[in-house]
Amino acid sequence: MKNKSWSLLAMLLAVLLVLAACNGSDDTKEKSPGKDSDGEKTSDSASGDLLTLSVENKGDAVKGGVLQVALVKDEPFQGIFNWELYEDGYDADLMEWTNNTIFEVDGEFMINDKGVATLDVDEENLKATVKIRDGVKWSDGEPLKVEDLILPYEIIADKDYEGVRYDGDMKNVVGMEEYHAGTADTISGLKKIDESTLEISFKKLSPAVYYGGDGLWTYAEPSHVLGDIPVADLLAHDLVRKNPVTLGAFKIEKIVPGESVQYVANEHYWKGKPKLDGVLVKVVPSSSISVAIKEGKYDLVQRFNATAWKEIENLDNIDVLGRQELYYSYMSFKLGKYDYTNNVVVTDEANAKMGDVELRKAMGFALDIEQVSEVYYNGLRERANSLIPPVFESFYDDSLEGFSYDPDKANEILDAAGYKDVDGDGLREDKNGKPLEIKLAAMAGDQTQEDVISFYLQNWKDVGLNVTLATGRLIEFNSFYDKVQNDDPEIDIFMGAWGTGTNPSPYGLYSKTAVYNFSRFSSDELESILESIDSKEALDTDFRGKQFRAFQEYMEDNALVIPMQFRYELFPVNKRVKNYNVDYNSLTSDNLQDLELVAEEPVAAK
Amino acid sequence: MWKTIVRRFLIMIPQLFVLSLIIFIMAQFMPGDPFTGAITPETDPARIEELREKNGLNDPWYQQYGRWVGNAFQGEFGMSYTFKRDAGSLIGERAVNTFWLSLASVIILYVLAIPLGVLAGRYHNSLLDRAIILYSFVSYAIPTFILALLFLFFFGYTLGWFPTSGSVDIKYDPGTFGYIMNKIYHILLPATTYAILGTTTVIQYLRSEIIDAKGQDYVRTARSKGIPMRKVYSRHIFRNSLLPIAAFIGFTITGLLGGSIFIETIFGYPGMGQLFISSILSRDYSVITALVMLYGFLALLGSLLSDIIMSIVDPRIRIE
Repeated sequence: MKNKSWSLLAMLLAVLLVLAACNGSDDTKEKSPGKDSDGEKTSDSASGDLLTLSVENKGDAVKGGVLQVALVKDEPFQGIFNWELYEDGYDADLMEWTNNTIFEVDGEFMINDKGVATLDVDEENLKATVKIRDGVKWSDGEPLKVEDLILPYEIIADKDYEGVRYDGDMKNVVGMEEYHAGTADTISGLKKIDESTLEISFKKLSPAVYYGGDGLWTYAEPSHVLGDIPVADLLAHDLVRKNPVTLGAFKIEKIVPGESVQYVANEHYWKGKPKLDGVLVKVVPSSSISVAIKEGKYDLVQRFNATAWKEIENLDNIDVLGRQELYYSYMSFKLGKYDYTNNVVVTDEANAKMGDVELRKAMGFALDIEQVSEVYYNGLRERANSLIPPVFESFYDDSLEGFSYDPDKANEILDAAGYKDVDGDGLREDKNGKPLEIKLAAMAGDQTQEDVISFYLQNWKDVGLNVTLATGRLIEFNSFYDKVQNDDPEIDIFMGAWGTGTNPSPYGLYSKTAVYNFSRFSSDELESILESIDSKEALDTDFRGKQFRAFQEYMEDNALVIPMQFRYELFPVNKRVKNYNVDYNSLTSDNLQDLELVAEEPVAAK
Repeated sequence: MWKTIVRRFLIMIPQLFVLSLIIFIMAQFMPGDPFTGAITPETDPARIEELREKNGLNDPWYQQYGRWVGNAFQGEFGMSYTFKRDAGSLIGERAVNTFWLSLASVIILYVLAIPLGVLAGRYHNSLLDRAIILYSFVSYAIPTFILALLFLFFFGYTLGWFPTSGSVDIKYDPGTFGYIMNKIYHILLPATTYAILGTTTVIQYLRSEIIDAKGQDYVRTARSKGIPMRKVYSRHIFRNSLLPIAAFIGFTITGLLGGSIFIETIFGYPGMGQLFISSILSRDYSVITALVMLYGFLALLGSLLSDIIMSIVDPRIRIE
């Protein structure tokens, strides 16, 4: 008896400890908002975002200083510091400080003439001329040469190159395939005109070239040090793993593999030596990042998980900047199969279970995405009205309605289309009176994801549609894409997401030949719209905008893909940072030399 | 005994062989491959297919297996698909980290648990005994990640006594005295967390063995010969009570390389546990196979070590 009471007490104590741990994170919520105490915020976003894009902190800048950056990641980084070879996005984050890009882009990701090099496209003759600015030097003091622009192409086309970037786009440069096959010693489409000018010949040109697509490579590599290293040996080389020679504001000084990178100011930076002495980036686990921010350990936080926003929302030592991501999530319907022998989409809308456009529309209107965005994602996601994220201002069209939540309309559509509840069980049968069970494939994720998916299933039940999970549960990421890509017959509809990249062209996702056209729908009309988006005429932005509009209307009218959500990304910035801007029109990361600090150490929350 | 040891090693070869075969067949059932995760609208499916072909992922499993066995005999475990480096050296790097962390935690574990267990057993039913029992229940009941987070927030952030992530500060150069001290400094907090969570078993075993031994005839004999109680405990009872713990020590030693996914993730410490999970999620076949083989080998070695240690500690036991 005595022993029993002891163990009960022990259990109680354990429960108390757990509760205390939970309380810890609640505390921050109750703190009074400390915004605008000593900072000034500006919001100049076009779409009236709920978060600001830039911050300016008052106070005199201290001399030098080291910027403390947290990279939120739950495992070590890979550490491949080369733009041709890296594959993990986190490595790109780390390379942003050293940056070998030769072009700068405007707010809509079109190449402008503010960068290291300028681009001049001759659309008639399928040629582009890249001209390097005078006096640009590598971090070891060597001048930037035309050969440095050619080297990346040679790395990618090399027979020993193992990366994903030797793709259809790169083969669009004349001579790449011959070089890859070993039948040519040089890439014939790359011509050195003089010491600072490179002429590139393409097989075809589309508007993508202005976004760094069509095979135009936007990075340089130091040929004076990398030129003689066989491509097969590059991946393991110190110049890729430890001390790369770079063009950007900072250069890598030291690395603890997988954990942290220390950068120092690059005295040869062509925009002038940075005001900071250096930058220190550390990998910080997601479980403790909110506390680290509160304790003032870091000045900037990269890859902060937006679902943890509530934990830092009211801290008085930081400003949380936010912008819309190049991202949309969607729901789509299986309407055919992919023929992997001939590499074409074979649409069979008439026989597909989801072949009825009215049913598809009703399914879209039945989803209360607005509430999910508000309740589960704290407003850091919003219902997507189309398949182009709003960041692409020239092509985004806010007048498109999309599928806003309207269960009455969904019911009406289903009634009119003949989906009636014949047997009176509250669920609609199909047009022939047979039971209708729709199988949804959705990706596994955190608890929120599970809650959201069951909420959507309930939404559909509310309009009398019996939607169940394919395989009976949420599907792990790799399996999900495996099944969707191989047109698993168990899947009728599926929910996925795309990061769009900086070129908004939807061709790779919805065309007749695209493997990633997962709905397997294609029609002549859709194909011609997609082609005109990337046509020569579309080099005119107005024309291209109209084609984008036509594309989105077509997708909406036929309810092929239901756009679900756009998403915000967050950037917590400590009050020590003098000014910081995440607006694509005036990114601080384009002008890192001007970054300054106003205190010796990052500020902790009061 | 030597004969037995050699024989046990020889048996390991077919055992590991079967293990590797099972991994390969199981891997075939895993959906996706190392390139599934690489798709974005910008990646060219044709290029992915080309890379699959180039890496031999389209070959039937027995061909892949044959290739792998051939390389493994030469000590090569292939390139990691995600880290783009030799799987062997990648694992080696992590294994060193994990080894030191585990070693530190095993030391702390025994330093904490043995005295507590002995005291609880010796002063059985006293207030001290109850306090120790309470402690061991609590430490047993707390989930790993909760204790780890509590310690990290309290000792790392609130008090600022310990570093909060990573295995070493970037300012130290490898090989220097400061570097080693800094590494130890980084290990202390995670190792203590790890150790506290493991103390229960040792405390409970020791306690009950000691209580058991107190009533044994040899204790009475020793007492009647006039040996002081302190000596009876340290010479006679303690040694006998360690037996069940000695039975595990082989596994404990080889388990040093296992790593803990929770501790590593929360403390941002690059170790084996994380590597194993992330390689499974990213379908990094070469790393998965190498790791499973390593773990399999260590488990076999552990059981052998335990047998050997038992036979040394307890002369009644002989391995045949």
